[in-house]
Amino acid sequence: MKKKLLSVVLASTLALSMIGCGSSAVNGVTESDNTGAGSSDTAQAGGATGAGNSSSDLNIMLETPVESLDPQQATDGTSFEVIADYTDGLMQMDADGQAVYAVAESVDVSDDGLTYTFHLREDANWSNGEAVTAADFVFAWQRAVDPEIASEYSYMLSDIGQIVNAQDIIDGTKDKSELGVTAVDDKTLEVKLNVPVSYFLSLMYFPTFYPVNQAFFESCADTFATSPETTLSNGAFILDDYQPAATTIHLSKNPDYYGADTVKLAGLNYQVIQDSQQALMSYQSGDLDTTLVNGEQVDQVKDDPAFTAIGAGYMWYISPNIQGVEELQNLNIRYAFTMALNREAITADVLKDGSAPTYTAVPMDFAAGPDGSDFSADQEKFSDVCRFDADAALEYWNKGLEELGVSEITITMIHDADDAPIKVAQVVKEQLETTLPGLTVELQQMPKKERVQRMQDGDFELGLTRWGPDYADPMTYLGMWVTNNSNNYGFWSNSEYDAIIAECTTGETAMDAEARWAALYDAEKIVMDEAVIFPLYTQCNAELISTSVSGIEFHPVALNRVYKNATKN
Amino acid sequence: MKKYVLKRVVTAIFTLLAITLILFILMQLMPGSPFNDEKLNESQKAALYAKYGLDKPIVIQFFHYVINMFKGDLGVSYKISKNTPITQLIASRLPISIGVGFAAVMIGAVVGLLLGLLAAFKRDTVWDTLATIISVIGVSVPSYVFALALSYQFGFKLGWFPMLFSAKDVVGSSVLPSVSLSMFTMASIARFTRAEMIEVLGSDYMLLAESKGLSGNKLVFSHALRNALIPIITVLAPLVVDLMTGSLVVEKIFSIPGVGSLLVNAIQSNDYNVVIALSFIYSAMYIGIMLVVDILYGIIDPRIRVAKEGD
Repeated sequence: MKKKLLSVVLASTLALSMIGCGSSAVNGVTESDNTGAGSSDTAQAGGATGAGNSSSDLNIMLETPVESLDPQQATDGTSFEVIADYTDGLMQMDADGQAVYAVAESVDVSDDGLTYTFHLREDANWSNGEAVTAADFVFAWQRAVDPEIASEYSYMLSDIGQIVNAQDIIDGTKDKSELGVTAVDDKTLEVKLNVPVSYFLSLMYFPTFYPVNQAFFESCADTFATSPETTLSNGAFILDDYQPAATTIHLSKNPDYYGADTVKLAGLNYQVIQDSQQALMSYQSGDLDTTLVNGEQVDQVKDDPAFTAIGAGYMWYISPNIQGVEELQNLNIRYAFTMALNREAITADVLKDGSAPTYTAVPMDFAAGPDGSDFSADQEKFSDVCRFDADAALEYWNKGLEELGVSEITITMIHDADDAPIKVAQVVKEQLETTLPGLTVELQQMPKKERVQRMQDGDFELGLTRWGPDYADPMTYLGMWVTNNSNNYGFWSNSEYDAIIAECTTGETAMDAEARWAALYDAEKIVMDEAVIFPLYTQCNAELISTSVSGIEFHPVALNRVYKNATKN
Repeated sequence: MKKYVLKRVVTAIFTLLAITLILFILMQLMPGSPFNDEKLNESQKAALYAKYGLDKPIVIQFFHYVINMFKGDLGVSYKISKNTPITQLIASRLPISIGVGFAAVMIGAVVGLLLGLLAAFKRDTVWDTLATIISVIGVSVPSYVFALALSYQFGFKLGWFPMLFSAKDVVGSSVLPSVSLSMFTMASIARFTRAEMIEVLGSDYMLLAESKGLSGNKLVFSHALRNALIPIITVLAPLVVDLMTGSLVVEKIFSIPGVGSLLVNAIQSNDYNVVIALSFIYSAMYIGIMLVVDILYGIIDPRIRVAKEGD
């Protein structure tokens, strides 16, 4: 009784103080409240999260807020996920990650592989009733390469997509109207490429390629995609509650969506929760249907039937500064490092989130070849140069020290000041120092942006870093280690390697899918043989997904989570 | 008095300009940049720097910023909410931080005052000891520990209050963060109130008032408390700014879309404009509150006003 009384007193004090502080505080949130849909559903223990508009809404935890809902400006996974909830591109991913039709209903590819002609479906409409047309794609793609927009993902159209004139427009030497994309008529879009791109259709589900209605965009002036009123949907859901950098976002089912019959959820209810303990408690109290679980919480929930590990696509690796550090120029020293790393122990004992030990330069489970096989299914193909073998590591170490004429080496490894990298770095230090006598590893943790800057500047010795794939092709990784690439942190250079990558990108080999695949294997072998990187693990996310929910699709590339086919009982 | 206030306002404006310049310089010294994402090449970075005018000399950037600021334009976010005007970002978030912070100030000040009075009047009794223990805990335990404990007990276990902030239940979902934030204020006020009241109660003029036959509420509120309030307001003023501009950690724990969490994200992302704008607003609020405090001094104790007017 006393506790109840206490709660009433506290609430009353607060209510009075809220009234006392004037109307601005209340108005500030009431305005956003007005844009929300549906009725409140806050009765259960644990209270409201600002979520729960409908019993069949899916309540989803987000780790970070949305950075931008402008498809040509967005770069982060959270933004991509929300944009894809209410926008369809030409293609979409099926449950297996293969590109299937979305706004496009068919595509013709010329014999030389240089011209794609997309035919758009008649029943694809924007939420203002206007039809989705080929001109919407032309406008959006021109925005993506417009130097004034300075889209961070413009290279998806130039380097990756190889669309005619994209690079020249980005460089400012041609007008954006000269981009190799044309609206033949309202429902026919023609795209011209410089060279055949075997994975071109899979790029079409990447949000940078999503359409924008020009008339609507211009009516919004500078406020495009900053509120539900300045956002147009042609997808499964409609955005109805959003503010820039908001901690809650709500979308409702789009009744006019061409695939509305297959959409079972009434809506999506996102809640940004940056504190992992709060997120877990919110899930356990029923306010969330899905949440991420950190390594320390895994033991607590691993027996829960809702617990699962989802591949996140990111490969973590250590990059040695080969050009800048004399000791790391020695190949035996690099072999010693990579063989002294017990990747199994890192994933099983430290991360405990399902992350997979990785022994290749391209991670597994994201790129399938012409025969449908995974590029990196065989994790032992480079076991002669990348495995955990303490004896071999010691042998290489001693040989390397002898060649260098030293008996001790002190080396510094920089890493991000986040939970997982801190733990992994500590274990890496322990493993290396234990296996390699005379080695001292000093750790320096820093914000990610500082770490990236230092690695790009070559101001490091060892760097713990990661890379997430942008598209479903090994080139998203292998392209990094060509000479002078900004992600080639070790400034490694190999003319044979550069030639293979160039040939697979713009040469004759690019036109032969099987030959290209074989050449990419050769390229990867060079990277591993020269120990350009020390692969560690492919990241998984430990998640709790309510057993009443099914059909959420997870992908390591582009769109990590897709909800349009999900159901909730 | 008018001359004094005018002088303070002019000083405040120059102080704010100096703070803005220092912030600009500090931003240049911060490691990293908003655009050093791994996926960007050098020409893309150069294009982004040009787009936002960051390729110009810092002096030019500063003057542009100040001129735009006087027009009410604080620029746009580079990273955490790309291209969104910062005035829009802050307009939706500042009221929430102020609301939660004001509630915390109210709870902290009222409870702290009562606790301090109780300890002073029941000096050297079990009540005094109890109030002291509460004060020590309130000062020494960080607010995020209270936040986590309250959230677990009253949100998760008992389900009395929401664990996360909700725009649909502002009052209910602000209880736990406000109480968490109020603990330090409450403890500080309780300690100062007790000390000041004990000193005032033992002073000669209180003895005189009592000897003139004054007693009860009139004696306490008109003579004792009024004099004890002056140092208490000095303590309260900076706490008010701290609380009303958002707590970095408590906002994160309760997912409050306030300016505190915005600042944390902006710093981590090197989002210069947001950091400068929020720091500027914090400074302006701090200077404004201190000005109010000076004026309040004059109301509570006319001797101070007379002295300053004499200056």
